[in-house]
Amino acid sequence: MTSPAIEIPDKPMSAIMLQLGGVYAIWLREVKRAIRDRGQLIGGVSRPLLWVLIMGIGLNPYFRGEIYGEVRFVVPYTYLQFIFPAVILLNIMYTSVQSAVSTIWDREFGFLREILVSPLPRATILLGKILGGTTVALFHGSLVLALARFADITLTPLDIVHGLALMFMLAFGLTSLGVVIANRVRSFEGFGVFANAVILPLYFTSSSIFPLDPSLTSAQTKVVYPEWLVMLVEINPLTYAVDALRGAFIHFYQFDPKLGPIVLVVMAAVFFLIALRDFQKA
Amino acid sequence: MTKLPATAAVQILAVTKRYGRTLALDNVSFEVQPNELFALLGPNGAGKTTLLHILCTILRPDSGTARINGIDVIKDPVEGRRNLGIVFQEPSLDDRLTLYENLNFHGLVYGVPAALRRRRIDEMLALVELSDWRERLVRTLSSGMKRRLEIARALIHHSRILFLDEPTVGLDAQSRERFWQYVHRLRNERELTVIVTTHYIEEVEGCDRVCIIDHGRILAQDAPAKLKSAHGQELIRLVARDEAAVAEIAAAYADLVVRNDTELVLKSSGEAFTEALFARFGSRVRRLAVEEPSLESVFLALTGRELRDRAAGARELTYEFGKRGGEHTK
Repeated sequence: MTSPAIEIPDKPMSAIMLQLGGVYAIWLREVKRAIRDRGQLIGGVSRPLLWVLIMGIGLNPYFRGEIYGEVRFVVPYTYLQFIFPAVILLNIMYTSVQSAVSTIWDREFGFLREILVSPLPRATILLGKILGGTTVALFHGSLVLALARFADITLTPLDIVHGLALMFMLAFGLTSLGVVIANRVRSFEGFGVFANAVILPLYFTSSSIFPLDPSLTSAQTKVVYPEWLVMLVEINPLTYAVDALRGAFIHFYQFDPKLGPIVLVVMAAVFFLIALRDFQKA
Repeated sequence: MTKLPATAAVQILAVTKRYGRTLALDNVSFEVQPNELFALLGPNGAGKTTLLHILCTILRPDSGTARINGIDVIKDPVEGRRNLGIVFQEPSLDDRLTLYENLNFHGLVYGVPAALRRRRIDEMLALVELSDWRERLVRTLSSGMKRRLEIARALIHHSRILFLDEPTVGLDAQSRERFWQYVHRLRNERELTVIVTTHYIEEVEGCDRVCIIDHGRILAQDAPAKLKSAHGQELIRLVARDEAAVAEIAAAYADLVVRNDTELVLKSSGEAFTEALFARFGSRVRRLAVEEPSLESVFLALTGRELRDRAAGARELTYEFGKRGGEHTK
């Protein structure tokens, strides 16, 4: 049995250390939970295999800028190279948004209370949570990089650093989006359905699996693709995220190279602030 | 008991809280002194949990003030929360983490420095006799063990005030007893103010003071012995032979009777009362017991009802609804 404790004087940590400790604790918990969840990892591995090895290799020969037998434009990349950055986006997107399920989990199983009665401000709690999800999503995004050689992409260390920075911003924004969704849809089932209803349309209209070719004038683009589709692609912020990733990994931009990083930063900031506002009300 | 310091450990001043049209707390005030073991006793839906939730700043009262160690928790919730440990009615552990990880998480979040954190985790695990389970996932524990782990967790940051919200609900008799042993041992070892809510009357006998609360109002608060001498009643519980006898006895002692399925509970005024009852109905009684004044009878005297587990009434259901934030989530 323990003897009556001789207490070490209770020197409180400095305010900043306390906040950092809190962020670290919440981050660590998110990451540990993700590592222990086999299903998530299997999804993270199988998704890129499916998209790169099957869809990518399968559609590779059909990617020639040819319309009704007539070559209209030339994209100087193979289809595999072209969708490779988009598969990174897809993997990050699924993992980020899914990581917000833990928010629902915590509310349902009581752990949220433990967090809410702790002396941490809500912003710190949210930051820890989102950084945790971001880390896991970044890891899943990086898994795709292992397939680079199958897609015939050579990566310099600088490309990788550049790409990881963009992926981090993207994962942060999408995890925040996940938390925003989780705050509105409070059941597991509802979240699953809603998340899919958000992920796939955003993915398909992000110019991820087909290019809006920059060599064409916008008038010509509209001859090839219907106007509504072009508009959808152009208003989708993820279009610019994919573009930035493509710039990093295959040095191919459809838009102004500065646009991508700006959109990513704005997206991360806006979704984080919305999530914070929701969380402070909860 | 040592001399009481000037500030109360916990102070509730004229707190009122409504859920829609239901008045959950009606102008409630009380103080708990340092090192006291204070019990909030009342049936489900009396407002006990609401009160604790206000104290740990999960809920805001509509009016009134709550102070912990002199800190106004409504004005300064972060500072207030630093001073208390709580074990909630529903488990609030992460069952995909190990015991150690749960405790370490708590220590980190409350800013306990690393060396001290490790030491307290070991100490607290030893105290609740869970040291051997340290590296197990929490989901492998029984519910009694989870409760003990939650007490251990609530004390990692060395809080001097511990809230226990219905801590023994859902535990078997043996686990309940052990739970209380740990609480008493803790109070012997360190300065600790404990506020416990419960609807098990036998659990509050060992408390310093009991506050009886029903329908959001405080009916009485005092030491158990004083409550018994002030409001206690000798009770006679009897089971009659047949329905006719039940009806007759009920008619004869109309204002003294509580009916409880087949059982009648009469408030006795002493031996003469018992003798008179025997003389009249002795032959038609199957079973009869005379109960010394107990807290059970105190509750009965104050509310006219018995404090028993029963199905949730409309009022309790509205409460649950309110507590979930008024949403149909389950």
